[in-house]
Amino acid sequence: MNDLALKTENLDKLYKLGGRHVQALSDVTLEIQRGDFLSIMGPSGSGKTTLLNILGCLDKPTHGTVYLNGENVTNVPEKNLYKIRKNKVGFVFQTFNLMPWLNAVENVELPMEGTKKPKAERQKSARELLEMVGLSKRIEHRPHKLSAGEQQRVAIARALANNPAIVLADEPTGNLDAKTKYEIMRLLGKLNAEQGTTIVVVTHDSKIGSRARRMLFLNDGKLLKKEKKGAHFMKPTCPNCGKEIQPDDIFCAGCGKKL
Amino acid sequence: MVKNLGVFTRALRNVARRKVRASLIVVALSLSVAILISIPTGIMANQEAAEQLSSNYDAYLANMETEITTAATLLEVSLSPGFTAAGFGGGRPSEGGFGEGGFTGGFMSRESFFNETAVSNITAIEGVAAVIPVLEKSEGTLVTRSTQFGEFEFLRPEYTIVGVPLDDSDLSDYPVLPSEIIEGRALVEGDSGVVLLSENNTDYFGVGVNDQVNILERDFMVVGVYSTTVTQEMNYLYMSLSEAQEITELEGQLSRIDVYAETEDLVDEVSDEITEMYPEFYVNTAESRLEAITSMAERQVDLVDSAKANLDETQSVAYMEIGVAVVATSLIVLFTMLYTVRERTQEIGVLKAIGFSNGNIMSQFMLEGMILSIIAGLVGVVIGMVGAPMITQVLLTGLSASNSGPEQAITGRQIGVPGLTVEASVATPTVELLLVVFAGAVLLGMVGSLYPAWRASKTSPMEALRRE
Repeated sequence: MNDLALKTENLDKLYKLGGRHVQALSDVTLEIQRGDFLSIMGPSGSGKTTLLNILGCLDKPTHGTVYLNGENVTNVPEKNLYKIRKNKVGFVFQTFNLMPWLNAVENVELPMEGTKKPKAERQKSARELLEMVGLSKRIEHRPHKLSAGEQQRVAIARALANNPAIVLADEPTGNLDAKTKYEIMRLLGKLNAEQGTTIVVVTHDSKIGSRARRMLFLNDGKLLKKEKKGAHFMKPTCPNCGKEIQPDDIFCAGCGKKL
Repeated sequence: MVKNLGVFTRALRNVARRKVRASLIVVALSLSVAILISIPTGIMANQEAAEQLSSNYDAYLANMETEITTAATLLEVSLSPGFTAAGFGGGRPSEGGFGEGGFTGGFMSRESFFNETAVSNITAIEGVAAVIPVLEKSEGTLVTRSTQFGEFEFLRPEYTIVGVPLDDSDLSDYPVLPSEIIEGRALVEGDSGVVLLSENNTDYFGVGVNDQVNILERDFMVVGVYSTTVTQEMNYLYMSLSEAQEITELEGQLSRIDVYAETEDLVDEVSDEITEMYPEFYVNTAESRLEAITSMAERQVDLVDSAKANLDETQSVAYMEIGVAVVATSLIVLFTMLYTVRERTQEIGVLKAIGFSNGNIMSQFMLEGMILSIIAGLVGVVIGMVGAPMITQVLLTGLSASNSGPEQAITGRQIGVPGLTVEASVATPTVELLLVVFAGAVLLGMVGSLYPAWRASKTSPMEALRRE
């Protein structure tokens, strides 16, 4: 139990859409180990985002239970949920969702607001986080001065701000070009490997999903029995020629293209 | 409080980020503040003027009554129907037109003169203790004023020459000469070539005690300066009767005879005698003067009452205007903030997703509303301080103490006592009012932001994020 970062039991989610009931999730049971890097794959409309929202305490299941770090969070009243979202969960969005009027370091500091950390320490750890995601030279830039990939790095740093039990990423590469996508996935992989951060990525893109350690498949709100190892994560290959590469390679040894 | 510092900075940036919207709120709120400052200020100025006028008038009437009763044995004999002495100075001089004071409630009359031969005849009447002939002649400049009845030329009096018989030994026994000497000395028996000036006269002629003053081309020596609270006498200058008759070219003429009966009981008898002898004369006894003053007081009370009613009516209009301004401003703040909240739904969703509580979100929006209100409050206070009189004039057309005379502002016309004026009070907002209104503006801004902020705090993060 204790080594589980997240666990769900028989999650159901029903929506009422124009008088019709839509079952967005049905009997979803899963366990995520501490230090896991999981991708949940599925076509659009399969309930991926709904699941992620429930895992991140943004939404509540119709039935079922969610345990975060072993604590049942299903029945935590709405007014206290923010504490869980602040301290136990880090969100990464498809559209980055940085505050445009705050610079990179301020954006990363934002979730630390209201914590007991003193101002100076907050700033220090925000800088460290930006360094960790490879943005140490752009900490004073506002989002519009950053590239899409850089913005997503800031968002990832922000997700890590309060040292959460789990990072939930909803299509984190959806708005990025091919090259940047893999950079971001590599960053997530690196954080997982080096910091032991538990990460869940939701995506419809199998190439992205396969970058995780473990892949789960969601279809029509149901979790499929099959589970794949993320081969790419273990043995990364060049997206162009498919040959095996090392995680830190900049150019593919096979085709010579920049990764 | 370190945490709030960050919130505050963020709120400031959010306000600055939406300049047009911020300006809209600031303009609406500050105009409202200016109105809130100006209207009560205008009302206060007018109320002050009304009270001042009313108390001036009370003092004036009280003064009159005292004078009349102390001169119970006095009969004023003249060709004018109203009072001539004891303060009412009926002879508001005008050459066939209205006096400068406007309509003076029936006491206005021309200056009329009669031959002094009447003096010896009246002195002969039994029961008469003393007879003091007086000449009053106003001097000033002729001005033309066009009225709805045509053009009138009339005299704007600048001073009134009062001639009294300085060779008469009775003079010292009766209150004919002013008693409140503030400089120099009073006129005494046997004086000639000298004048006693009022305070107003010294200003007008620009002279003081022991100076020479030229009156109607003759030089006089100023022996003293007196002070009076009786408005009508404020421009009276006293000299000997004979000299007054000479310089005004009214030799042998009088405008009034003050007759003193031996006792109060004899007043009516003496009055009848005089009327029999000179039917053209008006004889004013203390009793008739009291009657007149009472009816005058009643009329004035009516006038002041109707003025006050008018003021009340204008006030209720003013309060309505304030109400409209407050409601309109609240609505503008409300809708602008609501729009802002709607527009920032996604931002709210993100903030919630990264762990902001409902309270955090709510206080963020409230803070933004408050910052706007404080800015607007300051701007409004400045506008209000500078523009209070103008705004009052536009919004309170019935009240305009700041520009026209307050009397006119209150009654719509001048009070019927000539020269009875109040000092024009300018609509100046008090510090207390400024503070109260400023606090009110901040409150208003906060009330206007309350619902939008609450809406923001209740936004479901999931719903908000779905709008992507």
